[in-house]
Amino acid sequence: MRIAVDNSLCEAHGQCGVVDYDLFPLDDDGFSAVGPSREVPAGEEATAELGVASCPARALRVLP
Amino acid sequence: MTVDLTAPAASADPYAVFRSLRDTDPVHWSEAHRAWLITRYDDVSDAFRNKAFSNDRVRPVLARRKEPSAASDVLGLLAGWMVVTDPPEHTRLRRLAAGAFKGQRIAVMGEQITAIVDRLLSAFLEGDGAQDLISEVAYPLPAIVIATMLGAPPADRDRFREWSDELALVAFGTGGAARADRHQRALRGLREMDAYFHTLVDHRRRALGDDMLSALMARDGDDLLSDDELVAMCALLLFAGHETTTNSIANATLALLRHPDQLDRLRADPDLIGPAVEELLRFDGPIKVLNRWVVAETEVRGKRISPGERVHLVLASANRDPMRFDDPDTLDLGRNPNPHIAFGKGIHACIGAQLARMETRIAVSRIVSRMPGLALAEEPVWKDVLASRAMDRLVVRHS
Repeated sequence: MRIAVDNSLCEAHGQCGVVDYDLFPLDDDGFSAVGPSREVPAGEEATAELGVASCPARALRVLP
Repeated sequence: MTVDLTAPAASADPYAVFRSLRDTDPVHWSEAHRAWLITRYDDVSDAFRNKAFSNDRVRPVLARRKEPSAASDVLGLLAGWMVVTDPPEHTRLRRLAAGAFKGQRIAVMGEQITAIVDRLLSAFLEGDGAQDLISEVAYPLPAIVIATMLGAPPADRDRFREWSDELALVAFGTGGAARADRHQRALRGLREMDAYFHTLVDHRRRALGDDMLSALMARDGDDLLSDDELVAMCALLLFAGHETTTNSIANATLALLRHPDQLDRLRADPDLIGPAVEELLRFDGPIKVLNRWVVAETEVRGKRISPGERVHLVLASANRDPMRFDDPDTLDLGRNPNPHIAFGKGIHACIGAQLARMETRIAVSRIVSRMPGLALAEEPVWKDVLASRAMDRLVVRHS
């Protein structure tokens, strides 16, 4: 599974980082540093989905 | 014009005051608060990442104290809280604490929280007539959850409640000599708390469990939280996680009672609870205002803001800003998207947001499903406080 952030949508709510700081790293200003394609370690898919769903700006997604 | 958010009329209906501020003076110098009130969504959002606004606001107070006092010890404990630090100290503490709050760890708490809620509600349902849902359910719940998560024995849970009250008293300060005695007693209580948490930390160091305190002991590279930092973290968890959650549950329940169509909608579709709680947090969340200390010259919407001043970021106003939310004064449990900032934003966004959401979802779900006859029994009175949106009591009948 891979996840991505659309930086033009990210508003630095920080809610993904609250779900899992390692899966959803933030930069110094609190914006997502997930990048265009980040591998989710095996076994952490459910957490990744929770983090993606937690974004109030809908800036995160699971890549097909 | 100067606005005082703690005036009784403003506490009863702050949203009317916020609307007028957003329209006429969105960056308002309030002589009453000796602070800037920032009320528009965009300005509050920007303020969360403005480096001129600092969270490091306890240490300067502590540094100004010339003589050590009973208060200094406790203030020293508060000064170590990550909510009152800036990077790089904040970054380190936040990283070390993050593991303990991961979504997965919180998710497994669901069953336990449901059991606690159901026990409290069963006792409530045994009572007859008008009863206070805050003192019987919304207030005890978070304290029990925190004590459970820290692995404290059930017999000690009542003390968590007392410490939480004492922390609030000391952290928010007191008003005048009349309350000095209460303040002194609070400080004594908090020294007991400090000793209790040190003992708890000591035990856990020797025998790690699957509780949150054990998780807080995990290393980040070769760094880890010291005993004092762990004790401060326990106190912060109690302070930040208690009253806020109580108010989330109580305010949510009141909003539903005031909007019977939405209450019916939730009862008909219990799966709506996720977005419903987000909307209830937006509509009447537990925190009205977060403070920042100004450490550099900056400008917000043409107003010059100077070092040494304070700014109040009015979350409850931002969450009702029509420039960001359609029909902001309408409670719509299905609202989507819902980029409310009830948990703050950016690097200081509430680390316990997932836990608070889960507690509020479970409590509100169970309250509305187990009490089909739920009705307001007396008009609630709002506390005249700046930071939180809090009722004294929420008196209801369940049949």
